[in-house]
Amino acid sequence: MKKLALLVLLLATLGMLSACAGAGGPDTIKIGINAELTGDIPKVGEGTKFAAEMWLEDIGGELEVGGKTYKVELVIEDNEAKGESAAAVNSKLITQDEVLVIVGPQASKQAVPAGGVANDNKTPMISPWSTNPATTLDRPWVFRTPFLDPFQGPVVANFATEEFGFTKAAVLYDVASDYPKGLAEFFKQGWEDLHGAGSVVAFESFTTGDADFSAQLTKIKESGAEFIFTPQYYNEVALIVQQAHELGWTAPILGSDSWGSAETVELCGEECYGLFFSSHYAAKGATGATKEFIDRYNEKYGYVPDDVGALTWDTMLIVQQAIQDCGTITGDLAKDRQCVRDALAKIKEFPGITGNMTFTEQGDPIKCAVIVRISDAGEFEFYKQACP
Amino acid sequence: MGAGLESSTTNRSSMRNRLSSYWEPYSQVPWLGWLVSALIATLLEQLIGTPLARVLGLTKPPALFGLVIMLKEPGLIPSALVYVLLIYLVPIGLVARFGASLANKVAARLLDYPVVLSALVHIALLYATLHLWSGVSDYRLLVVKLTLIAVIVTLSLNVVNGYMGEFSCSHPGFMALGAYGASVFTVLLFVQDSRFGPPLLPLPLVLQHVLFPISLIVGGLVAALGALLVAIPSFRTRGDYLAIISLAFMFIVKSLFENLEFVGGPRGLGNQPDLATLPWVFFWTMACIWIINNFVRSILGKALNAVRDGEMAADAMTVNTRHTKMVAFLFAAFWAGVSGGLFAHVLRYINPGTFGIRKLAEVLAMVYLGGLNSVAGSVVGAVGFNLLSEALRPLEIFKWIIIPVLLIVLMVFRPTGLIAFTELDVGELLKPKVKPEEEVEYAAATR
Repeated sequence: MKKLALLVLLLATLGMLSACAGAGGPDTIKIGINAELTGDIPKVGEGTKFAAEMWLEDIGGELEVGGKTYKVELVIEDNEAKGESAAAVNSKLITQDEVLVIVGPQASKQAVPAGGVANDNKTPMISPWSTNPATTLDRPWVFRTPFLDPFQGPVVANFATEEFGFTKAAVLYDVASDYPKGLAEFFKQGWEDLHGAGSVVAFESFTTGDADFSAQLTKIKESGAEFIFTPQYYNEVALIVQQAHELGWTAPILGSDSWGSAETVELCGEECYGLFFSSHYAAKGATGATKEFIDRYNEKYGYVPDDVGALTWDTMLIVQQAIQDCGTITGDLAKDRQCVRDALAKIKEFPGITGNMTFTEQGDPIKCAVIVRISDAGEFEFYKQACP
Repeated sequence: MGAGLESSTTNRSSMRNRLSSYWEPYSQVPWLGWLVSALIATLLEQLIGTPLARVLGLTKPPALFGLVIMLKEPGLIPSALVYVLLIYLVPIGLVARFGASLANKVAARLLDYPVVLSALVHIALLYATLHLWSGVSDYRLLVVKLTLIAVIVTLSLNVVNGYMGEFSCSHPGFMALGAYGASVFTVLLFVQDSRFGPPLLPLPLVLQHVLFPISLIVGGLVAALGALLVAIPSFRTRGDYLAIISLAFMFIVKSLFENLEFVGGPRGLGNQPDLATLPWVFFWTMACIWIINNFVRSILGKALNAVRDGEMAADAMTVNTRHTKMVAFLFAAFWAGVSGGLFAHVLRYINPGTFGIRKLAEVLAMVYLGGLNSVAGSVVGAVGFNLLSEALRPLEIFKWIIIPVLLIVLMVFRPTGLIAFTELDVGELLKPKVKPEEEVEYAAATR
């Protein structure tokens, strides 16, 4: 019994000691990062983490709000690329870690349920990458930094019309995957608004994991389409482009922001040179802040950041501005969260590296897209900006 | 040297003696005693948890017994340990120890009435404890809900993989069917939705809560219907073949929902009303444990074990093997569907990708961790796996090395799981550990 009492006493003393060293307190601003560090898309989580840590290093771990300096702490949690874990992580960040604002999750599968938790608990959350409308729909506390698919679809449609003067389009997309399917439909709608019903002469689909597209491509070729729009990921892009060329297709093939991975050129090689896609930013030929970010990221982590990294970087800066716009951090969490949310909703013409952003009441940004050309050296070069 | 060896063995055995003498009084504590002391500990946490945590240098009471912060901030381990000791271990130990005789008397008195009453008292105490404990933070609440749902799905898979002895991989598919079935039911009836239009039955929230079980039953029935579709062709085969057919079924369900536009396709289905409150999740979990426990202890359950141990022999012993297997499979699918329905209403968003191969791996891990052919094992497996999963989250990628390694170690040393091949006798569980007369004698003897 005596020993037990002694043990308790010892632990209590240690507890007191660590109390002094313990983090937190009124002079700390905590920002939660809810990222896909493990699971299906670890590269996305890694990009998130790296960009967030680079930002923290950039501000020196401190932020001045209303003339007072606060220590900034990132609480990075792994959501395992699972919806239920993302929700659990958000509720932990909100109630246990008491973060002021949450950045992430990235993929819509995680961001939709996590956004529900954030909205119910009145905590501002920004997803840098999620494009599903349900993430921010009817949720005043949830924001996002990428443009939405209903915007991106018409952007590509406008570009093809203005640049090439085409009138007949073909679409090839993955019917079983959330993002390509949504974007294919928005493109079709946008194209038909410009050229009338029936102007999308081929609307062909396949299923995730398919590697042979010759049947669909033959149909597209016979339909008399002047170009193909394929909002697919890099591995399929390479196959589609190669197989189209084998079948004698010479007209342009256009893509979307999912092409914007370094792997696209790696896998596709020269076949992809000269093709266009819409994206958030272009790494090659970037100037100013964008170039600075790319160079620093490349130097620090050894690869050119893709759009997740760039969007997360912008998100962190938006969060910083919102906190600073807020004016004072009272220490009353409910009040501060409200203040940051209101500041976020008021952000106008924010100069991000992925374009200037203004938030709508719905929490979605109004921003420009970039049309990227894959150069003859296989680099993603800026071609044109497309604004709403 | 011989003497040294001797003294070390006596040391060890005296150590063991001392430990067991410490434990001795606690072996007299009935479940009622443990539950009451847990309730008192959570009450204590409500009263002094936050100030105590502040004094110890924690900003908040540790969410899951300090498991979550330990790996995140190792410096806080002593504080968390002291907190757990002061709030949980010491009060529970004291109350259980000194309330044991009273608890035994009350437990004995309760058994004068039908067992149901005693069981209900225990369940009420458990609910009160969970309610108070999860009331402290939303994180706890969500973890409790997801854990209870995991208990249901683990139990239902154990019926097939443990009691029936087949290896079924279609449980995520059944969960998906249940989740979509229940979601379509509630979204269609109760809420304004962009896809399903205005609510068909705009009821006040209270009535929606009352009708929520119907949606879960609908989900369960949809899942059972799906199970019927797998069962008809696949029960002509056994073993590996069933595993492969059921795996195929899981993928079929996933691509079915990916292509069904009216439930959102790959984008998923959201906007479920917020109906899966803790009382409902708890109620369904208890109902599931109760019903599955009765099922596996019934004649049908014994027939199921007979089919597992030798289908031909069972057939010769007049067991209708086909009927038995069919009933058990549909029954298990029903509960998987119910758990899917609850899952959908806790998260309030589902998409086909959620119910894939990773979900299957998780559920299988929980079943085999807890133990085959055992209700108690499934509960332990689901709770243990979920707590472990939350606790190891800060390790990121290493978590997915540690958990599989643990499973391998477990499979080497206990191939059937932690608590396998046991029967859960509720009546036995609720009995006082010491009969009141005996206790008098025990007290007299020790005096």
